Amino acid sequence: MITPFRSHRLRSVNRTVLLGLTGAGLFLASLDAYVVVTALLPMLKSVNIAVNRPEQATPIITGFLLGYLAVMPVAGGLSDRFGRLRLFAACLVLFAFGSFLTATAPSLAQLVTGRVLQGAGGGALVPAVLALAADLYPAGNRSPVLGAVSALQEIGSVLGPLWGGLITASSFGWTWIFWINIPAAALLLWALWPEIRAGGEERRPANLDWLGALLATAGLALLTLALYAATPEQSPVGEGVIWQLPLALLCFVLFVWHERRTPHPLINVRRFRDSSFTGSALTNAIAGAGLMVALVYIPVLANAVFSMNASSAALLLFRLMLGIPIGALLGGFLAQRLRSYRFVAALGLVLAAIGFLMLSGWNEGSLTPHLLGSPLTVADGELLLTGFGLGLEIAPVSAALLDAVGDAERGAGASFLIVMRLVGMLVGFSLVAGFSLWEFHRATAHLIPPLPGLNPNFATQYAIYVLKVKQAIFDEYHLIFRATAIALFIGALLAALTLRPLPRPRWR
Amino acid sequence: MHAGVSPSRGLAAGLAIVISLSACGTPPPDATTLLKQSSQRMLGLKGFHFQMQISGFTGPDEPVQSAQGDAHPPALHARVNLKEGGILLEVEVIFAAGNIYLKSFTGGWQQLTPDEVAQYFDARSLFDPQVGLFAAMRETTKAARGNVEKVNGHETYPITGQVSGARMHELLTLIRDQGSYQATYWIGTQGSDLWRARLTGNLFDAEKPATITFDFSNHDHPVSVTPPPLG
Repeated sequence: MITPFRSHRLRSVNRTVLLGLTGAGLFLASLDAYVVVTALLPMLKSVNIAVNRPEQATPIITGFLLGYLAVMPVAGGLSDRFGRLRLFAACLVLFAFGSFLTATAPSLAQLVTGRVLQGAGGGALVPAVLALAADLYPAGNRSPVLGAVSALQEIGSVLGPLWGGLITASSFGWTWIFWINIPAAALLLWALWPEIRAGGEERRPANLDWLGALLATAGLALLTLALYAATPEQSPVGEGVIWQLPLALLCFVLFVWHERRTPHPLINVRRFRDSSFTGSALTNAIAGAGLMVALVYIPVLANAVFSMNASSAALLLFRLMLGIPIGALLGGFLAQRLRSYRFVAALGLVLAAIGFLMLSGWNEGSLTPHLLGSPLTVADGELLLTGFGLGLEIAPVSAALLDAVGDAERGAGASFLIVMRLVGMLVGFSLVAGFSLWEFHRATAHLIPPLPGLNPNFATQYAIYVLKVKQAIFDEYHLIFRATAIALFIGALLAALTLRPLPRPRWR
Repeated sequence: MHAGVSPSRGLAAGLAIVISLSACGTPPPDATTLLKQSSQRMLGLKGFHFQMQISGFTGPDEPVQSAQGDAHPPALHARVNLKEGGILLEVEVIFAAGNIYLKSFTGGWQQLTPDEVAQYFDARSLFDPQVGLFAAMRETTKAARGNVEKVNGHETYPITGQVSGARMHELLTLIRDQGSYQATYWIGTQGSDLWRARLTGNLFDAEKPATITFDFSNHDHPVSVTPPPLG
């Protein structure tokens, strides 16, 4: 939980500059959250992994999310104990080191390690910067600053895939996505160094629930491993699922048991009895899973069947990403105006689900038809609608959860929101990745490619073969997007049934 | 008075000589003997794991970039990475009972005819006892032994030499059969296991250099390769 405290020295310096510099660090890290989705194929190629082994790219994505999730529960407490700026500096160094490992990786193992460290460094920056903002601004004036910090993070993650795609398609190549972080982080640390060295920040002992964090992280890591289909031609889940899944469940049971007993829990698990709290947490996770599916599979679809390069794939995805902030702004306004979280959240998820259903009907010619004579294509509209729906639910679902936890647990509630979204992304993506590849292998199990050379009909046979493979890829994506649409409809139903209405405003 | 050497002192001196002699050890065999011993050792193994990496110019029609798998010469089972129009594809190859089988991007196993195999990267001779890599070791000329080097955590003698292009062309038909190439073998100081072999030169083009590196591990772990079910 983030607790602001008075820091006379920090207040004496230019707080806008301080927040600007730390915010820039947060922006840098949030750019990298989904930056890899448009650079996956060249990244795999550089570590000598073939394009028909895409399952090996899964840990590049899940590794970052796991690193992020591992530090989130303890980062707030660590910033209390060591000071916001010190934690910020340490995390930025970790993030830069992770970037270095990723950029120089000769193997998949180093690539994934780099991404885990990037996630851990980047994840801890969020509570550190939010807490710093809370320290620098008094309670009455804090809200817009915290909003600006959160917005910076959201904008960074929205721009990440575009940024990654543009660099990957340029002559610099994908490694520069990560190289550039090192001088940027160094510059920020240099600018902040006088403040960090002066050590004027107030520090206080914090009650860190290490055991709780360890159990939650171990459970999530085991669950990710259990769901990771390393050989999708044989199984849609991991080979060790039989022992990893029960062990993961055991970790989660122990986590809940421990959280009920410890005096300073990471999350008050008794809150789960409140249907509005549980409903908003689950809805948030489902929306996270939906977003992750779009983030990963739209660029891959663009590469694999529309033969787009990384920057064109990024621009295609950007149409969806653009809808998110528009939806998010309108979602907050509408929830307030209509005084209903459940209606706006359910509406957003239904729109996103309809968007996914539309995307699931895509075929080779889907990118060309124009929308009612406008310069926009039908595909643009479908992507915008999907992003808009995913954005619309953010504010009402977040507000419903924060209302459910009350003032005293608001900080922990805000962290829990991020954690649940990431858990949804992690679990949803792991499941979808395994099952979709398994289905692709099943569908093409008897599709033997013709061999060139001595075969006089090779050209014709090969053209037919390529068409069949493309169709199998489309079928795989149709399945993924339909399954995601169903999950989002379930999320909409959950939101409609569980979210409480807005509380009456309290006038002071 | 004659003071004789006490038995204990004699024993100590004897021990010292034995220890110092064994510390010096016997000098390692010469490069040619090491190559023959290692060749014999590798061909006598029940199996091993290998990784092959091609770097430099791999030729206009030479899409193989790397391969890894298990072998019990001449039989082998490998995953091969090919470059096809700028993208990397993985195929699986089995060479068993004199036939070669391929599992491509999609679909199951198919058996290739010798003519079809000849069109691609023909791996049939790679570890063949008569014409493969281990046989070529024995025919390396100008062999010279270098100082001990560690390869993948194992102490080895690096041995450099020359192999003829014609000889290498037998091993891999895509290698040019002209001139000679530089070969280096890293042979374990204990047990003659071959840990690494490297071939350098204008292998696939008269003007452009390339390198093929083989790394070996799991020496003598039994490997059994059988023809896969087709379809």
